[in-house]
Amino acid sequence: MPKCGWQSAFPRAVGPDVRRVDAGEAPSPGRTDGHLMTGITALAIHLPRLRLQRAAMAAAMGWLCPRGDTRGVRTLAYWDEDPITMAVAAARTCLAQAERNGVPEARTAVRALTFATTTPVFAEPQQAALVHAALRLPEATRAQDVGGTMRCGLLALHAALESAEPALLTAADMPLNTPGGTAEMRYSDGGVSALVGGGVGGGPDLLTYRGGASLSAPFIERYRAPDRSLPTDWEERWVREEGFLDLVPRAIAEALGKAQLSADEIDHFVLPCVIPGAAKAVAQAAGLSRAELAQPLDLECGDTGAAHALVMLARAMEDMRPGERVLVAQFGQGATALVLEASDTITGFPAAASAALADGVAEANYLKLPIFRGLMPWERGLRGRFPVNEALTTAYRNSEALLGFVGGRSPETGQVQFPPSRLAVSEAGFFAETQQPWPLADLGGTVATATADRLAFSRSPPNCYGLIDIPGGARLMMDFTDPDAERLSPGDAVRFVFRIKDLDERTGFRRYFWKAVAAPASPAAA
Amino acid sequence: MANGIKDKVAILGMGCSRFGERWDVGQEELMAEAYLEALGHAGIAPDQIGAAWYSSHYDDIGAGKAGTPMAQALRLPAIGVTRVENFCAGGTEAFRGAVYAVASGAVDIALAVGVEKLKDTGFAGLPPASRGTFAPMYLPTHTNPGNFAQLARAYGTRHNISAGDLKRAMGHTSMKSHANAVKNKNAHLRKAITVEQAVNAPLVADPLGLFDCCPVSDGAACAIVTTPEIARSLGKTPVLVKAIQLVASNGWEVQSSGWNGSYVHTARIAARRAYAEAGIADPRAQLSFTELHDCFSITELVTLEDIGLADEGTAWKRMLDGAFDADGALPSQVDGGLKCFGHPVGASGLRMLYECWLQLTGQAGERQLANPSLALTHNLGGAPAQNVCSITIVGAA
Repeated sequence: MPKCGWQSAFPRAVGPDVRRVDAGEAPSPGRTDGHLMTGITALAIHLPRLRLQRAAMAAAMGWLCPRGDTRGVRTLAYWDEDPITMAVAAARTCLAQAERNGVPEARTAVRALTFATTTPVFAEPQQAALVHAALRLPEATRAQDVGGTMRCGLLALHAALESAEPALLTAADMPLNTPGGTAEMRYSDGGVSALVGGGVGGGPDLLTYRGGASLSAPFIERYRAPDRSLPTDWEERWVREEGFLDLVPRAIAEALGKAQLSADEIDHFVLPCVIPGAAKAVAQAAGLSRAELAQPLDLECGDTGAAHALVMLARAMEDMRPGERVLVAQFGQGATALVLEASDTITGFPAAASAALADGVAEANYLKLPIFRGLMPWERGLRGRFPVNEALTTAYRNSEALLGFVGGRSPETGQVQFPPSRLAVSEAGFFAETQQPWPLADLGGTVATATADRLAFSRSPPNCYGLIDIPGGARLMMDFTDPDAERLSPGDAVRFVFRIKDLDERTGFRRYFWKAVAAPASPAAA
Repeated sequence: MANGIKDKVAILGMGCSRFGERWDVGQEELMAEAYLEALGHAGIAPDQIGAAWYSSHYDDIGAGKAGTPMAQALRLPAIGVTRVENFCAGGTEAFRGAVYAVASGAVDIALAVGVEKLKDTGFAGLPPASRGTFAPMYLPTHTNPGNFAQLARAYGTRHNISAGDLKRAMGHTSMKSHANAVKNKNAHLRKAITVEQAVNAPLVADPLGLFDCCPVSDGAACAIVTTPEIARSLGKTPVLVKAIQLVASNGWEVQSSGWNGSYVHTARIAARRAYAEAGIADPRAQLSFTELHDCFSITELVTLEDIGLADEGTAWKRMLDGAFDADGALPSQVDGGLKCFGHPVGASGLRMLYECWLQLTGQAGERQLANPSLALTHNLGGAPAQNVCSITIVGAA
């Protein structure tokens, strides 16, 4: 038996979806009229369910830092969410959307994966490797991290569109800002994922890429050293006048030139900007006279940083008609502008962004933000002091099970189990060395037993967990998560989400596993 | 062909320390307290002991690993000391080792000691147990109240018992044990409570409240065993071992959906085998009393059904009717049980046998039952879904 999990714990791996599948041959980029026929095949967002009320933030901190506009809410990642988990959540929805829309092998066709964030969880290791493993992408899929600017997500999309190979982009951010400041209210947590080039060769891209430009400039309006958690922001009027109003219009002009279109041929304009009125001013400066300004989603979500241009695009696409053109731009040490054109399939694009925006849980306790983000100490009791045993050797040996949530299935009985093992759990006989890998993440399950434990350490007590039955006769004791975990009861349907399992503040180490959340009453449009 | 342990080994003497928050002593003193009492009852000298078994669950807050901590604490006469650890069944596991050693003929007299010093952690409740490197990567951060709360919810759901009825039955279970422990000078909690107090206590893990949970105690218990012939030659009226069965979960309950969560699979198997080994056809009629592993009130209720002392789904009603009170048809936890005598993990199995030995030899003082002849002890180590379950039956000669 091979010792290394990546070389497979399963000697005869013939399961339904094996990760060790090499990426296929690159499709030949199709060209029509000199343009690459590539585009966005699927696009999905993930928003944490907690919505922190800005009025509550002002009530907590306004005595110290009075702020004017306290309307609306901002998303707040739960304690076990971070950019990696939000990227995985968005990408799972994105791949499922692609597979429903006629790209049946989207997962195994992806040749490149990019994870974009300005708030990396680790300086090392590479985080895309974790996203890659959670999505069970082919081993030969190239994975990379990008960051440094909130434009990094759109920059990665630009690169993917220019490469004309099937690529999966994930961008997720949870920008931390100084408590009490305006930026803390305006920025928020969220993720997005786009499948690019799935329709190369005439397939069903939602948006066809017409051309784009990315300008670089040493315009530093915000900085944060690697050992600091909080950034410093420079004066807003300068950012608007010398940054947005100068650099973005020039990037737009360059992109329109590449697309061989004029400014008045653009129907929708997407530009995230937390400075009120700046996006409209940029549209005017760029001559986008006909373009409808995409909703900034500031009242119901906030600006999700590296994810936000595509979060706004996902919402705007719900209102787009075939043939309409959208210009997506973002600012940050330069500017990127991409021109995309809606195909006939845009009419079937699900209103999932609207659904996610509406699916919030109001949160009036400002302190959850600094506590969840580790910005202030709190009394966690002696039970909360136990260190996390990293056991990186164990983690790698079992990475397919832990990150990909892959169990085992005995062909003789059909019995599924987690974790997989050389000797099968069975009442029907003794079966050794016969299990096949069996992915569980998309199967969902049913609550068999449940409890809300007030003794166990938790960052959001009570700690909720119980036995979950999974189709195929499998069972696993799992954490329940999200704000309403306490409501889960025996018989309830659950789906599985990839979340932080353990955090060790002493070392900065964290690890991930799958948890149960309430399944939607009816399958959400995605 | 194996024919079981019945009547091959006798308890010569036993001892038990006072249980509780023993800020005054460490593990070594607790062991000595129980050992010296047992030696006195047995009427032997230390150098007559041929081999020893030592049960302790936590080694990081106790005296450490291996047999040496006990050999040194008790100044044993240069004999083999085997440390065993089997969750809450560890005390019974130590007893099993000593009994099997005598039954094999390898030694004439063997010693079993269980001990736990839990109040050196700085916090309430049991410390998190080590689970190796892999399991913590996917299992929830769970506690024992949380594990057994799941049993309570599944039991209630399975038998369609209203939440209020189940809370009252669990409350009566704890009320009964508190009443019993008032008469036990060695018990940790010696204060009577009402059912209302139990039902209205703060929740620890829904639906288990504070009074549904046993305390965390320091303590030690000890047994000295020999052959019935040697016991008689020493002028003792021996208490004979009738059965010892131990079953460890193989993962079926926790990894497959065949088990419905409302009972303990291993307990049913262990009970069936123990009754067969002891030659008991009708346990409800033949047993005089029981000492069950009432780590939580729900565990006692479910166990009464699992070991055949109540029909499935009825233990809660019979508990409310007083069937298991000290003056009921089949008393359980006459000494207060884990709930009130206390639960020093590695000692609990031997503490239960201590009460059986006292009762069967007429030494139980003001809580003495009338003419008991056969008693059963039960331990459940781990969680309902994944555990080690032991059942021991002892009887008067």
